[in-house]
Amino acid sequence: MPNADAPLLEVDDLRIEFRSGREIVRAVNGASFTVRRGETTAVLGESGSGKSVTAAAIMRLLASPPAHITGGRIRFNGADVLGAPMAQWRKRCGRDIGMVFQDALASLNPVFTVGWQIAEPFKAHGVLPAKAALERAVALLGRVGIPEPHARAHDYPHQFSGGMRQRVMIAMAIALDPSLLIADEPTTALDVTVQAQIMDLLLDLQRERHMAMVLITHDLGVVAEVADRVAVMYGGRVVESGLARDVLPRPAHPYTLALLESVPRSDIEQQQLNPIVGSPPNMATLPSGCAFHPRCRRATSECRAARPPTVKVAPGHHAECFYAQQVFDGR
Amino acid sequence: MDANAQTTAAIIEVRGLTKHFPIGAGLKLRQKAAVIRAVDGVDFAIHKGETLGLVGESGCGKSTVARTLMRLEEPTAGEARFHGEDIFSAGDARLKLIRRRIQMVFQDPYASLNPRMRVAQIIAEPWVIHPDALPRSEWAARIAELLQSVGLLPEHAQRYPHEFSGGQRQRIGIARALALNPEMLVCDEPVSALDVSVQAQVVNLLEKIQANSHVACLFIAHDLAVVRHLSHRIAVMYLGRIVEIGPVDRVYRAPRHPYTKALLSAQPRIDFAQNGSERILLKGEVPSPANPPSGCRFRTRCWKAQAICAEQTPPLVADRPQHQVACHFPE
Ligand SMILES: Nc1ncnc2c1ncn2[C@@H]1O[C@H](COP(=O)(O)OP(=O)(O)O)[C@@H](O)[C@H]1O
Ligand SMILES: Nc1ncnc2c1ncn2[C@@H]1O[C@H](COP(=O)(O)OP(=O)(O)O)[C@@H](O)[C@H]1O
Ligand SMILES: [Mg+2]
Ligand SMILES: [Mg+2]
Repeated sequence: MPNADAPLLEVDDLRIEFRSGREIVRAVNGASFTVRRGETTAVLGESGSGKSVTAAAIMRLLASPPAHITGGRIRFNGADVLGAPMAQWRKRCGRDIGMVFQDALASLNPVFTVGWQIAEPFKAHGVLPAKAALERAVALLGRVGIPEPHARAHDYPHQFSGGMRQRVMIAMAIALDPSLLIADEPTTALDVTVQAQIMDLLLDLQRERHMAMVLITHDLGVVAEVADRVAVMYGGRVVESGLARDVLPRPAHPYTLALLESVPRSDIEQQQLNPIVGSPPNMATLPSGCAFHPRCRRATSECRAARPPTVKVAPGHHAECFYAQQVFDGR
Repeated sequence: MDANAQTTAAIIEVRGLTKHFPIGAGLKLRQKAAVIRAVDGVDFAIHKGETLGLVGESGCGKSTVARTLMRLEEPTAGEARFHGEDIFSAGDARLKLIRRRIQMVFQDPYASLNPRMRVAQIIAEPWVIHPDALPRSEWAARIAELLQSVGLLPEHAQRYPHEFSGGQRQRIGIARALALNPEMLVCDEPVSALDVSVQAQVVNLLEKIQANSHVACLFIAHDLAVVRHLSHRIAVMYLGRIVEIGPVDRVYRAPRHPYTKALLSAQPRIDFAQNGSERILLKGEVPSPANPPSGCRFRTRCWKAQAICAEQTPPLVADRPQHQVACHFPE
């Protein structure tokens, strides 16, 4: 039996490259974070920072080539993920980890009814016979807020609105009662009022089922509202991590701080936004040393020369910056 | 921002703007041709130097308002008086003159710039269309000046769009829009496609342009915080109609229409002071604009709806100065 206090998921120094022709895209460059049982961990980062690739690696969905995992470890419930035989992992992962993607239309199968698709895991994992599986699918559709689930189970994905499709995908992801749900920008493509409905549903399900959740997002507001922990990604690394209620009000990495100052806020008066100069890095030509240094107000020659250490600024609160303590202290 | 621009005369006055798109015409001959009521009777005015923010969820008709004002789309009904002259009934020659004074900035900085043109040609294009605008001998100097005013370098003039990041391309689009010193800008989601850390750069640029050139602006966005930051007044759309319009601080602090309230409450926000209001979760989804509800279009999702809401369309009324709401039971 795994220890109940041990982390559910540990990503440790993960490195992933995409090789094509002469170019090497270093999508993930030593990312580390842990996810605890029943908690929501937000992976926050701008587009291209390596969030989805990290999620795909956990699910072992990366095709190789072009993807190559060149280092690091992933442990789920204490067991090695990357070294496990594929068939064994698929079975394990299919039961214990559910995944929700940003684009439901691309991840649902267009030629099968949604009822059939939700019933599929029960059949595949030998849990239930076909008829009972369909009944469970209908119940799940009802649970995720699809009106008239009996009738809608016979519809195809394209017959649902964006928000309803997202609900269908959530029903599929939670069907086998996973202990971890990975939600990759589950509401990014949706309007704010629909986004609020879907986030509410996800949090409800999480509490009801004691699921842990990895919530991948680029939205600081979403992190502030729902995350227990946050891992901030930049250039394929987790540059800051800790409890969201510690990190957001008092960040220790200049990138997290700059991001907070650059977005319009509703809780403080801002005369002018304080933008971050430049744009996110090209992962094929990452800057030397700290990947954020070309955009950082504090950068010194040190930051160009070497990768900064991980500094513990408070219990459970880490930042990868030579000046983390100063940033944390507001100096 | 506060509403101090109201005292001057309106430079544009829109009344009864309506745009219906025909759908599935000809299938059933005897049936009345079906239409999508994209915009259905919209009134607003914008004053000199004023920015009107237009918000609402996708599909509510924001872009259609912008595109009909620019006559990129012919309106079904209504008028739009620009300094008293109706844009919608203007002939080609008059329209060309009006278009010189109203310029548009588009959402997609990738699609809106011709990839085969150098930046200099892109910015000079309006001067080709309006040969009397600027003598050719002054083009180079003015291009350099415009590039600098949007935070780019004069030497960028000889480059092609693909050599720039998304944020830089949006700056090029803005420089082009400013080339004719317009009196009004129509900005359709100008920062929505940009990375989070880059959005603030463009928001600040637009703010600087407002302050320096006193250009009036119709600013469309779905990010309510960005709209609040840049607008003097704000109009909220739902299913083709404006449901509330008023000074930005008043609408954000004390929304009067239930939809505005729900929309504002749904926006995820960073609010460490926890002084935000309760989240209102709307039931159901936005009805189809091909078959909108009778009376008040929001009534099918409104927690205050009574019989009268289905029977009578609430008009936009100003029972408080400058703050209009279309609701039978406003807050
Ligand atoms: N199949 C692929 N081939 C090549 N590069 C890829 C592939 N998938 C992702 N990448 C690159 O890896 C980096 C990280 O991508 P991703 O994890 O999708 O970012 P995000 O944080 O937006 O989810 C990006 O630079 C992206 O272009
Ligand atoms: N060219 C078109 N033909 C048919 N329907 C259209 C067309 N353009 C927009 N629509 C419809 O009009 C409505 C309003 O669209 P739009 O103005 O783009 O909304 P917004 O910009 O607020 O997202 C939507 O239902 C959309 O599908
Ligand atoms: Mg992604
Ligand atoms: Mg639009």
